[in-house]
Amino acid sequence: MHSPAGSRSDRPVSGRAPISVTRSERDLAVLTQGLTKLYRNPWTLKVTRGLEGLDLELPRGEVMGYLGPNGAGKTTTLKLLTGLLKPTRGAGWLLGESIERPASRRRLGFLPEQPYFYDYLSGMEYLVMAGRLSGLAAHDADRQAKLWIGRVGLGDRPGLRLRKYSKGMLQRLGLAAALVHRPELLILDEPMSGLDPFGRRDVRDLILEQKHRGVTVLFSSHILPDVELLCDRVAIVSGGRLSRVASVEEIVHGAAQRIEITCAVASTAEIPAPWRPALAREARPQGCLYVLEREALLDEVLAWLVQSGAGVRAVVPHRTSLETLLLSAATADGAPPREPESEPERRSA
Amino acid sequence: MSALLIAQNTFRETTRDRVMAGMVLAGFVLLVVTQIATPLALGEGTRLTMDLGLSGISMIGLFAILLVGTSLVAKELERRTIYNLLSRPIARSAYLVGKWAGLTAALWTVAIALGLALWGTLALRGMRGSAPAVFEATYLAGLELSVVSAIAVLCSSLSTPVLSALYTLGFYLVGQWSYDLRELASKFPAPLSGILHIVADLAPNLPLFNMRTLAASGQVTSPLHLALATGYALLYVACMLSLANAAFESRDFK
Repeated sequence: MHSPAGSRSDRPVSGRAPISVTRSERDLAVLTQGLTKLYRNPWTLKVTRGLEGLDLELPRGEVMGYLGPNGAGKTTTLKLLTGLLKPTRGAGWLLGESIERPASRRRLGFLPEQPYFYDYLSGMEYLVMAGRLSGLAAHDADRQAKLWIGRVGLGDRPGLRLRKYSKGMLQRLGLAAALVHRPELLILDEPMSGLDPFGRRDVRDLILEQKHRGVTVLFSSHILPDVELLCDRVAIVSGGRLSRVASVEEIVHGAAQRIEITCAVASTAEIPAPWRPALAREARPQGCLYVLEREALLDEVLAWLVQSGAGVRAVVPHRTSLETLLLSAATADGAPPREPESEPERRSA
Repeated sequence: MSALLIAQNTFRETTRDRVMAGMVLAGFVLLVVTQIATPLALGEGTRLTMDLGLSGISMIGLFAILLVGTSLVAKELERRTIYNLLSRPIARSAYLVGKWAGLTAALWTVAIALGLALWGTLALRGMRGSAPAVFEATYLAGLELSVVSAIAVLCSSLSTPVLSALYTLGFYLVGQWSYDLRELASKFPAPLSGILHIVADLAPNLPLFNMRTLAASGQVTSPLHLALATGYALLYVACMLSLANAAFESRDFK
């Protein structure tokens, strides 16, 4: 995790955020310290935790997936960062500007979850307005709106009123509105929800394009394959607390793998003693299944099986997936456990 | 700048609303119906036209505020369209000022259109000299609607559309009868009298904007009255929007 060199000892953990941040903190697109949101029921005075003590650093140019089960605090975090919620404690900065200031949102593009729009406007009118509200001059907003309405596949009917848009079209328009002013930071809340596979692919491509342009992206999603594909790092939040921040590389490739080797012949050959802690055999109706816990032994084990005439038919590595990690984080926090699923990568033998 | 953009959008929203179009149409129909009814007015046809025409501007404006204006902010909260605005570099105060300005601009447009239609009708009846009275009365009606729309924005930022409409109507009625309320207060013992006086003072002084009776007799008001009414309206609007902003500033949009 990126660690800024500048001292932050002068920053309070509660109350108003200081006006200035150190130079190295300006290299961070998102920085939060002790960001907390508590909801108090005005009638029962019961306090519910939305988010507690979030310390998060997102360097510029990085794509971060923000994951967690429903009600974990993902949307609360994104709304705090975008000024829609006021923090109970703690502070946050976007591109070096305190989130308490409207100016922090000048270079921000935000797509809320299930975006709603003014149905009396056309797509083109809405994008021009969005661009102008984010500080573009009139002619620039017009030019950018024309560009983006085409980019998201809505350019054939720019004058169509939004009340006639489908859910997928609205999602695309929301993304165009988030991008129309060429933001340096994108915050997207469930950007793929409600989209068909083609729409999902288009959104993925757009996010990748922005990543290559150097835009920082923070997005929440439940679609884990997309997260694995797009993100440099993931932050997992559960029960209102940040439970883990890790790089996708670390999760996907650094985790221990279990390899299943399917054989056609039910061999009775004794497993060599040094391999026994890592290799197990299970009888199957047709042949048998070897389960190898150490990938390093794979070549030797395969050679042994071929030599012993076991009839190797398939070698299937099972890796610790993002889903397993997410489920374990949720379970550790008391959320209802669900059946973990490993993600096989099939390789023909 | 952002307040102006929000005002433009609110103006567009209000003028594209079918309810608003229906209200304007009702105003023109009222003028036509008045002309059909003038033979029954026993020689007071011009007075009747002027009186009903000016009352129509105020009433149609009030209905437009109650049906459209009181839901402006609340509807944005309910439909969550506000997320798309406040996640941009816009101060919440600019948002509220923009909402009020857009609604008020739409109301002024309606008031001017109906005022011109009234003047045209009076001109056809041979009362070309009625222009100053009609335009002064229309101007004051526009100020009155500006004040009531600021109250609507305040209520709308605090409550649901239905309750906002009820609160705004309550303010309007108390405001219209604020002089009567003061008179009534003097007939009650000390604590109640004081409370009624405070209510009358806090309510908008809407009779200040009413010169329908004067205009109906073809008379104009003084420049001092116009200046005082303008100043009072600006001050009252500023107070209402400041209150709305104070409530809105700390609000969470869940």
